[in-house]
Formats: sequence, structure tokens, C-alpha cells
Amino acid sequence: MRIIIESPQPNDEDVVIVRCAVPDQRLISMLLAFQTANTELMGYQDEKIVRLNYQDVFYFEANENRVFAYCRSEVYEVKYKLYELEELYTPLDFVRCSKSLIVNMEKIESLSPLFSGKLEAHLKNNEKIVISRQYVHSLKEKLGIQEGE
Amino acid sequence: MMIKEFFVSLLHYFVDITTAVLIAAAIFMTLSGKQVTGTILWQILLCGFITALPTAFFLCLDTKSVRLSRVLWCAHALMMYFMTLLLLNVFGWCRITPLSAALTLLATGFIYTFTGSVHYLVDRKHTTLMNEKLKKRYAPNAQIQKTEHQ
Repeated sequence: MRIIIESPQPNDEDVVIVRCAVPDQRLISMLLAFQTANTELMGYQDEKIVRLNYQDVFYFEANENRVFAYCRSEVYEVKYKLYELEELYTPLDFVRCSKSLIVNMEKIESLSPLFSGKLEAHLKNNEKIVISRQYVHSLKEKLGIQEGE
Repeated sequence: MMIKEFFVSLLHYFVDITTAVLIAAAIFMTLSGKQVTGTILWQILLCGFITALPTAFFLCLDTKSVRLSRVLWCAHALMMYFMTLLLLNVFGWCRITPLSAALTLLATGFIYTFTGSVHYLVDRKHTTLMNEKLKKRYAPNAQIQKTEHQ
């Protein structure tokens, strides 16, 4: 499948056209999830409240009943549970990588194995996070890798 | 999910450890020229199962840091060593002496390195593929054709 992005005429709204012989349910589900996803995210830092762009978030981490969004160098608290963030952002290239972490796949620079079936993800801000072995298959699935490949 | 993960790990490690113990036993028997009975096969299988149990348990622990992971692995290695010594004594394979303890350390080290290396190499192959997919997915304009309306 080829992906083509066309720039619209000035003042035209953005539109997604799927041109295919048979509609792929997976693609339609993905587009619907993207369309309905609530991407508005408020970050709290001391007295400040900041509107966060989900694309700037490297990972979400739950710590002592609080959830934090880690951006390139800033950390903001977010008023969501981790499972809620997982539901919201899984269609948008975020993937659960341990009980307390959800990572933005786009921010992963590279992966390396650890001695225990776990992986270490080197992020683009030079941070390292551990991907638990029970969540490695979710990452593989997201990357389109079949079991046994 | 955790229980399923535990049993899958248990099965994997049982197979890996038993294979490594069989190799170690074969080397030992060839070098020492000792004749053994068929019961040793059941004992090897039991050893494999007993040592695979804590291995699978340790691997299911969800540690956040690499350092804690390494500490757990060291604790696990020590546990394996003492369990092997105990099993050797229980099965009457040898008595605990400084020499047998040193040889057991060597054998445990071999089995540990063998199973660890096999898993590491398999994981390295997988991560290479995952890195390729990541690079392809997020490379600028790798799969996307952009056109401008005139």
C-alpha cells in the first residue's frame, strides 16, 4: 500500500480519502480511533498548567498513584490513570512497556536486549527505559512483526 | 497474563536448563569415565524443573531499573549455585567438599552462561529486526509520498 500526502488548497479543510478495492476494517478502525481520540492533555507543574501536545511526550509513568508525562526535559503531572492514557493513546503509537510505563514509539531511538528477556529502549532524549518481557510482544505487534519472525 | 507468562517462562527455562545440564553431565561422564544408571535422566529432569521454577519467578518480576535487574540476576545466580550443590548432595552425585563446591561453581557458571547466551542471542536477533522496523516507520518520508497541489 502506498501512502500519499497531498497538501490541500488554501482554506480547504484537511480530509482523509481511502482509495482501495476492498475497505480494510483495520485501517477504518484506526482512522476512526484517530478521529475520536481525545488528544487534549493538560500538564501540571508546580503552579503552572500547560497544554501538552501528545507528540512531545516521550513516555507516561505512574508513580505512587500519580501519573507523569515525561517530555524532552520537562516532567508534568497529568490527571489521568495510566490505563486511561493507554486507551486514549494506544491508537497513536504509544505502547505499554511495563506495569507503570507507556512509551511513545516515535521517541525510541533504538532497542537493545537485556539478560532476562527484557529490552532496553534508548530514547531520543538520551534516557533509557526498560521494556518488560510480557510487553515486548505488544511492541512487536505494533511494529507489524509476526510471532516466530 | 502474569500466570500465563510464568508458565511460558517455566517451560522455556526447563527446556534450556535441562539441555545445558545434559551437556554438562555428558562432558563430566566422558572425562571421568564413570558409568551411570538410567535414574540419572529422571534426576536431571527434576533438577531442570526445580531450577526452572525460581528462574521463571525471577523473570516475571517487573523491575524498572537495569541496576535492579542486574542485582536480581546476581541473586538468582547465587541461588542456582546453592540449589545445585544441595541437589548434588540429595541425589548422592557427590559430597560437599571444597573441590566439589568449586567444580559445581564452574558447572553452574557454564550452564548459566549457556542459557543466558542463547536467550541473549535470540533477543538480539529480535531487537535488530525491531530496530529496522522502527527506523523504517519513523524515517522522514520513508513510506510517504508528499505532493503539492498547484
